[in-house]
Parts: sequence; C-alpha cells; structure tokens
Amino acid sequence: MKEKISALMDGELEDREAAGAIGTLQGDGDARDAWRAYHLIGDAMRDTRALSPGFADRVAARLAQEPTVLAPRRLKPEARPWYAIPAAAAAGVAGVSLVGYLAFAPRPDAPAVARAPQAPVAAPAQPQVATVPLPSGADDYILAHQGFSPRVSLQGMAPYARTVSSRSVEPRR
Amino acid sequence: MAVAARALAFLLLTACAGAQAQPPEALAWLRRIHDATQKLSYKGTFVYQQDGRTETSRITRYVDASGEIEKLESMDGAPREIVRTRDAVRCYLPESKTIKVDRRTPERDFPAMLPERVTALARHYEISVGELHRVAGYECREIVLKPKDNLRYGHRLYADTRSGMLLKAVTTDAAGQPIERITFTELTLGGVTRAMTRSQHESGSWRVEDAAASPASLPGWRLSAELPGFQKVVELKRRLESRPVSQMVFSDGLAAVSVFIEPLEGRANVRTGLASMGAIHIYTREVANHWVTVVGEAPAASVQRIADSVEYRRPQ
Repeated sequence: MKEKISALMDGELEDREAAGAIGTLQGDGDARDAWRAYHLIGDAMRDTRALSPGFADRVAARLAQEPTVLAPRRLKPEARPWYAIPAAAAAGVAGVSLVGYLAFAPRPDAPAVARAPQAPVAAPAQPQVATVPLPSGADDYILAHQGFSPRVSLQGMAPYARTVSSRSVEPRR
Repeated sequence: MAVAARALAFLLLTACAGAQAQPPEALAWLRRIHDATQKLSYKGTFVYQQDGRTETSRITRYVDASGEIEKLESMDGAPREIVRTRDAVRCYLPESKTIKVDRRTPERDFPAMLPERVTALARHYEISVGELHRVAGYECREIVLKPKDNLRYGHRLYADTRSGMLLKAVTTDAAGQPIERITFTELTLGGVTRAMTRSQHESGSWRVEDAAASPASLPGWRLSAELPGFQKVVELKRRLESRPVSQMVFSDGLAAVSVFIEPLEGRANVRTGLASMGAIHIYTREVANHWVTVVGEAPAASVQRIADSVEYRRPQ
C-alpha cells in the first residue's frame, strides 16, 4: 500500500488505481499516517516552509462562507474525449495532494502566512438558501405536479419519467 | 372550473397582446408537435438523462374515437408503471403493492396547452427553427425555444419531419447548456392495441391511494409578488399519501410551478431549503404553521422567488 501512496503523491497512478488509493486514504488511519509522513519528508527534503497553525481550518471556514450556487449541474458533454479523462484524474490527484499538504504540514513555530487582502463580498442577488437532499415523498409531489405541466401536451407522458432514485432521497423516517 | 377557465382566458388575452412576431414556421411546428402528441398511437423506448443519471422507460400510447390511453413503464431502478386515461392517472408501484390514483374530473380538465396558446408562448420565448437531425432513425427538425429572461428554462425540441412526433427534448439553462434530456432510442408509430396499454400487474388486492383532488379556493393563501409571466391556473385540494394538501399551480404556458401547502404536523423531519433534480427544483419552507413545498420545472431562483412570496393573511 505504501508504494501506492508514494506513487499517488507523484501522480504516477492510473485513474482507477488512484481512485482506489484515495479510497484507502479515506478509510485507513495507517495509510493517512504514511501519507502525512511522506509529505513531511518531502517538505523537509525540499526545505518548504510550513503554513501557519490552523491554516486548513481557516480555509475550510472561508469555503463554508462562500455562497451556494443555486444552479442545477449541467449534463456532461455528450462525447467526452477519452484522453481528457486521465488529465482530469491527474488534476484530482493534484488537488488531493494539495489538500493533504495543507492539512498535515503545519508546524507551530512557523511564521504566519501573510493574509490575503479581503476581497469585498458582493451582495448576493438572492438570499442564499441551504441546499438539501430531495425530501422523502418527493416523487409524490413531482407526480402531483406533473399533471399540470403544459409540457405534457407537447411530450405526452415522457416527463413523468422524472422520478427520484432511492439513493438520492433522505431515508423515510 | 370557472376559476381555471377565467385564469386561462386571462392568460390567453394578456399573452396574445404581448406576443411579438415570431417566425410562423416555428409556431406551425409547435402546433404540429402538439397535434401529433394528441393524435398518434405509438410505442417506443426513451432515455431520461440528468446530472449523470440515465434512466430508460417504455411508452405505449393508444388513441381511438373513445379517447386515449398512455402507459409509461420504468425499465431501470424501482419498477413503476403509470397509466394515464382520459379520467385518471394511475401509478402502479409493485414493490409496495400500491396504486396512486389521481382522477381527472371535468372540473379539473385543465387544458394544459391549447393549440392557440402556442402563439402566447412567444411572449416569453424566442421560438425559431433549427437544423435537421436524426434521432432514433427519424429525420427530425429542431425547434428552439429561447427564454427572454432568466426566470424560465430554454428548450430544444426535435420533431419527426413526417409525423410531427417529438423524439427528443432538451431543457437548457440560461447559457444554453443542457440540464435534462429525454431522447427516444426506438419508436414505432401505429401498431398499438388497447390491450397493450393495460397495466401488466394483477393489482386487484393492492392498496389504493386516491388523491381525491377537487377544485377549491384557498382563502388567505396568496403570493405577495407574482413571478413575471407566471399566472395562477388552478387551485385545488388533494391528498398526498394520506395527508390533506392544498395545491396552487402557476404557469407561463410551458413551464409550471406547483405550490403545496399542508399543516406542519402532517410531516416529520422536514428540512427547509432547496433540493434539485435535473430541471426540477423543490423548495420547502415554513409559513404560518404550514409547510410550503414549491415544485417546479423552472430555474432554482424562480422556484425560490415563488416560495418566498407565499403568504397567509387571515381572510377578513
């Protein structure tokens, strides 16, 4: 496994192997320790300055303050070129490496990183709302709504195919 | 009936007054699609795609002088069969041995889109004729409905050049990017018998959940601000599972948004906020000791605006 983690850090894994290794990292404390240790070794060898304590927490807090984008996700492009996939996977691995670095590298005695100037927060056009999982019983609402959709007179019953897959709904309580 | 009819008449008048000149060819295409949808018998298979999900369904439609029957069967995931007749929509759920029945009474015979209302769509959408495409072996003409504001989605429709049958429909966001697609992969026009549209289930012993929908006025409930172009088309009371629920429907002639209102105690563990599935958004909030659940095939901001403007004022 340790070779895998090392290879993952160097971006040498195929996308399926990389996904497996990332899965292991999520579930395995020893693997995460190895990941952390390798990064510390790498940092020490490169004499990289560590980030200030709590950096990862502050980044996470700032991310949490970002407004939620209330737009449905677009469908994937119809034909995705095959060569784009390894690149995307590599980008994913790079992202994980960065997060790993941020999360595990802090040293208490390191100088604080200069704060980026605070960008003025643009007033959102709409009050931001929580995005929540589809409610239980969502299919009933959709079915009750569907009969009044004028689209049915152009499309027949095809729009009735919209149902909620069980995995995306909150469990019924 | 009177309420719905008046609302419709109002819609028609205002919409026609505001309609701008659109290519007559594009409007003629929409009418052809509308007529084909009402008049053709067919059977086929289509896929519904949204956010990485692809689900296949089979559709069978039979029309004769006595009316129409249409059956939709899901091929993926939980089995489900929906049969729509002139009188009712019945949803058969074999896993729970349940039939959900929503009757269509004459009072509720809401003409979703009359051919003459096609012209009214031009108030909110720029309608144009696009290229020729091949879908499921049929040569199709593309018709593009581009929304004139960001309160509604756009549509690209692909209709068989011979019959007018719609073979593909793509819902697009403000940037013209697809959000949802319904595409026939196989279609046979004609050759359908009435027996093919019956439910395949022996459902005699199944539990029946009747929505018992009836037109009603909902005193006190209203929108403090209407969404431009969306008019109230119907108000009714119904049951969802066994809970009594009020429903108001708003429509711009193509998109529709339903507002469901029910007492708080009927539902437990409700989370307020916005949930999304393809072009459908569901926004839940609490208003005057009621859950207000707004369901619509419109951009999240539109669904949210309608939800946020729902208010209750004690009738005087």
